[in-house]
Amino acid sequence: MNLTEKPWIWAWLGTVSIWLVIASISGLSAGTEVLTAAASFGTFFVLVAIGQMFVVTLGPGNVDLSIPACMTLASTVAMKVMNGSEAMLIPGFLIVVAIGLTIGAFNFALIILLRIPPIIATLSSSFLYLSTAIWYNRGLRVKPPEALAEFATGKIGVVPLLAIAVLILTVLMHFVLHRTYFGRSILAVGQNAKAAHLAGIPVERTRFLTYVMCAVLAAICGYFLAGFSGGAALNMGEEYLLMSIAVVVIGGTSVAGGFANLPGLWGAALFMFLLVTMLNTLGLSAGYRLILTGAIIVAVIAISGKKR
Amino acid sequence: MNFTKVTVAGAALACLLSSVAVPAFADTADKKIALSNNYAGNSWRQAMLTSWETVAGKASADGVVAAADAFTTAENQVTEQAAQIQNLILQGYDAIVINAASPEGLNGAVKEACDAGLVVVSFDGIVTEPCAWRIAVDFHQMGKIQVEYLAERLPDGGNLLEIRGLAGVFVDDEISGGIHEGVAENAKFSIEGSVHGDWAQDVAQKAVAGILPSLSDIKGVVTQGGDGYGASQAFKAAGRDMPIIVMGNRHDELSWWKEQKDANGYETMSVSIAPGVSTLAFWVAQQILDGKDVPKDLTVPFLSITQDTLEASLETTQAGGVANVEYSQEEAQGVIAGAM
Repeated sequence: MNLTEKPWIWAWLGTVSIWLVIASISGLSAGTEVLTAAASFGTFFVLVAIGQMFVVTLGPGNVDLSIPACMTLASTVAMKVMNGSEAMLIPGFLIVVAIGLTIGAFNFALIILLRIPPIIATLSSSFLYLSTAIWYNRGLRVKPPEALAEFATGKIGVVPLLAIAVLILTVLMHFVLHRTYFGRSILAVGQNAKAAHLAGIPVERTRFLTYVMCAVLAAICGYFLAGFSGGAALNMGEEYLLMSIAVVVIGGTSVAGGFANLPGLWGAALFMFLLVTMLNTLGLSAGYRLILTGAIIVAVIAISGKKR
Repeated sequence: MNFTKVTVAGAALACLLSSVAVPAFADTADKKIALSNNYAGNSWRQAMLTSWETVAGKASADGVVAAADAFTTAENQVTEQAAQIQNLILQGYDAIVINAASPEGLNGAVKEACDAGLVVVSFDGIVTEPCAWRIAVDFHQMGKIQVEYLAERLPDGGNLLEIRGLAGVFVDDEISGGIHEGVAENAKFSIEGSVHGDWAQDVAQKAVAGILPSLSDIKGVVTQGGDGYGASQAFKAAGRDMPIIVMGNRHDELSWWKEQKDANGYETMSVSIAPGVSTLAFWVAQQILDGKDVPKDLTVPFLSITQDTLEASLETTQAGGVANVEYSQEEAQGVIAGAM
């Protein structure tokens, strides 16, 4: 099969060409170090983008805007409960998963029971989650347990540990999407919910599981990001809202739903990190950086969109 | 009966205490002051609100003022805060203390408040409407003193890395302007790289980790607060020599500094604005309502922490919070007198 027909190829082409620019400016060894940094930070983008991708694939109007608030609430509660104690690592993780499950179920309840469109439902529920986080700890930054910080920032050679873990998760999710009943149900619902329903696919159960999975992944991302950056902060999730959507779209997943791929998420996550790094390296002022970031994202989406 | 005696003594003591603590008791006892705040989503703003509760809440419980209520808008939007100010006018407040979403955007609503006879005091995020009082921060100077400190510490100069705040925000331009002015006056320094850290440790960590491989030797890092710890983690992860990173009074920054100081004698400085500036604004509003003559423009002193005051500051800073100073009525009067 022709490679140019793969929807994820454009994100990877963009990543490679930007990396070449950086390496030609700063040299090969700096280029390698930048790649390590890109893998460290791209990992967090991929983790939330996997969930967002499944939600977007459910079809038009499906998107989870509560990802930043979910990350903040889950990590705030976990850090305070663990309070730096390594014995609490597992309970802390279980709490994070439980918060993810609750948030996902609550989001879906708003969407299905109250018939609120997902954009409005998840946007308004995120106020509840963020307010809960503020009420719970008033923005105080509690240090993560040392073992969590070490794992989150740890490396084997030049490859971050967390990147390996998320890479394994990506492969698993690739399998889930294309080879399991659940994954194929998501694609079918996204392509035509009515046809999927008539074919006997439990449409609402599929949507429910997808929203829950997205929230759980966001919560887990918050847990590790807090470990990575020295604690949870109220504004820690802010950039993950736009980023989770950008990574999904640039990665070649159809905004209209029904078509998704996982390799593109990694390509797009590395692309977004390297793009900002390149513009910083070139020393452009913030205004030009933002204009170029926007223009390049539009260009990548336009080029990759032509093929579909 | 013992019980009665204790109660009576207690009540007498309470009366005595409150009358000692509150000399300006009479004139503002029936006045209501509101805080209009545009954002609460970070630790600095949370500390600011907590300080308000502590000081203004006590003043209202003691009867210095009739009420001191805090209101925060949900969306950090100018229109939302303008509507909030209009509501506060209708609710009959005598003074509004504002941390504004925009220097110009609220001027219409502020003018309405002044015309309705309210006292308006803006602080931190100030408003330009002439009828309002301004408690401003000299952000420009806050940037410049960092370079001046580095000039003393590094007689041979060297390359600096600048971490900026949120692009497009007035405070970011001011601090950065001060930094660049400082560098222009000290030719031995050059700014080798500049990234936006959005005043958040994780964003700063990411931006610094990205640009670091392309930078040669970095001697100093100039910052805007809330980004120093993230920068240190990025340098550590890259295995680079630790430069002098100017800190921003956050607890994680101070405790990292303390660890380094104990381990290898690491020296730096830390500067920011105490969130308790909200309490200065409260007392200024109270003094104006009390009929005192207060100049329209006041300046907030910085809260600087040096190598020698590090331990003391760390002790009084709440774990996970930010170094703070809350103002008493006398201290606020001192600031006002200093500006006359």
